[in-house]
Amino acid sequence: MSLLAVSNLTKNYRRTGKPVAAVDDVSFTIEPGETLALAGPSGSGKSTIARLVLRLIEPDAGRIEFEGSDFLVLRGAALRARRARLQMVFQDPLAAFNPRATVARVLDDPLRIHGIASRAERPRRIAALLERVGLAADLAPRAIHEISGGQRQRVAIARAIATKPSLIVLDEAVSALDVSVRGQILDLLLDLQRQDKIAYLFISHDLGVVRAVAHRVILLNAGRIAESGDARAVIDAPRSAIGRALVAAAPKLNRAKT
Amino acid sequence: MTGLASIRDLTVTYRRDGREVTALRNINLDVVAGERLAIIGESGSGKSTLALAVAGLLPASVRAQGHIDWFLPSNFGAKAPPSVLPDISPARGEIAPSSPRSPITRGAKGEPSEKLLISPLAGEMSGRTEGGAKDRQHFHFCPLGGRDIGFVFQDLSSSLDPVMTIGKQIAEVARTHLGLDWPQSFATAKTLLERVRLPDPDAAMRAFPHQLSGGQKQRVAIAAAIAAGPKLLIADEATSALDTIVQAEIVTLIRRLVVEDGMTLLFISHDIALAAELADRIAVFRHGALIELGTTRQVIDAPSQAYTRTLIDAHIGLDADLLLNRSGLPA
Repeated sequence: MSLLAVSNLTKNYRRTGKPVAAVDDVSFTIEPGETLALAGPSGSGKSTIARLVLRLIEPDAGRIEFEGSDFLVLRGAALRARRARLQMVFQDPLAAFNPRATVARVLDDPLRIHGIASRAERPRRIAALLERVGLAADLAPRAIHEISGGQRQRVAIARAIATKPSLIVLDEAVSALDVSVRGQILDLLLDLQRQDKIAYLFISHDLGVVRAVAHRVILLNAGRIAESGDARAVIDAPRSAIGRALVAAAPKLNRAKT
Repeated sequence: MTGLASIRDLTVTYRRDGREVTALRNINLDVVAGERLAIIGESGSGKSTLALAVAGLLPASVRAQGHIDWFLPSNFGAKAPPSVLPDISPARGEIAPSSPRSPITRGAKGEPSEKLLISPLAGEMSGRTEGGAKDRQHFHFCPLGGRDIGFVFQDLSSSLDPVMTIGKQIAEVARTHLGLDWPQSFATAKTLLERVRLPDPDAAMRAFPHQLSGGQKQRVAIAAAIAAGPKLLIADEATSALDTIVQAEIVTLIRRLVVEDGMTLLFISHDIALAAELADRIAVFRHGALIELGTTRQVIDAPSQAYTRTLIDAHIGLDADLLLNRSGLPA
């Protein structure tokens, strides 16, 4: 059984009165411990799919099954409880955090809200989470705006894994990072995936990164799936027009062979 | 090789949270006329500060020391300071004392603040003296932003006026700097929209920025930046907010326009691969210092600095080794 099964997902937006299909009859599955990448140009529907899967917005049609049950019928407490298993990391952690919060507060919230650890136990759990994402425990009292972008994204990942999710939606989660930091964050994500069998819905416009970290890829264009398959096979030999355009447009560092 | 600008001992400091932060330290860099020079670096490297300093767009609150000497034809209004100028002066034009007068006042013929799309702050740096300090600033800004220097920013939404039509935004640059009347300026604007390959230029003239896509907005911003025929085009992360396909289109557009208009290009980017595709030379910045400068081939194939090699190795191209351990996955 798939961890996540999305079928015939459709979402229309209205733009100056005309309906625009942001996501048009999209179906896919994600297996436990798997990374599925969504790639495509701006407006292709990648982030809309992410928001639908997270139920930050509601679809016009389609089904989402998560961990074997209908995810779209959940309401209230049942939805909140299930959300612990489905986490998210966005491109800009500064926008995703309360700007006045400390690192400890950011990590305390999910532990408290989801009843994962008692008040007395939480400081120890926070220290353990920081250690898991490669941060020193003494970072806990620091304000979110004081730490570096790479550290902030590690905190966002720590927050995401605090509730022991089976799936994390990574929406351009490494796109804003410096390249030297990006590699470390990707390594961290892959380590966590191996240790905890976390699946990722990995949204990126960067085909090089997708090819390096994803098992499978879906190339989207104008809300529809243009092509999908093994990430390396698709990107090494794209068959769709948008796939070929994306590959052609990727900046290439033509290095002399050394 | 003719120089366009010569940056000497440029140091830029500003205060943040009561602390003095050095954004650029002792930068020496010659910009060659007609070249495509990429400035690359990570966040905090000082690359954007350099772009702003060259364009004279540093906010008044920062402290800039050093020289930027310009070698521009006299009709570009360059008033180069009489210091450290080498013999290649024919293109330099007449010399005027560095005056506290704002270049905006000189160039805009009235209503300067309304007319200058690009650079409301351009004048602030001119011969500014640090009050009380005995080290006078020798930071002269000579060319006129918007006319001699075109600047394309990363942030598409803030570089265009949301309540002015596209046509007027471009036309006012032409009107301000080229001395055209409004009908001529609008005609120029429409030609520019055709040159930047905006679909349906007639409709775009009357459109507002929010009606355009990100890539279209950046094409408009480029049209405005080149409207007055600048010698230098500065693109500061101009494609970073765009998706890969649009990025490639904009890079192609910039490359073509630079050739057609004989412009010099300063291309600021965090992306070494993108820089390598576009630039003749690459300057690598780190922590406010220029650590490596060379032709694109030298820098990419035989970097002299370990940091440059780190940047190159961190690039994840379509031929990169897979980070994923595939054996861990059930079939």
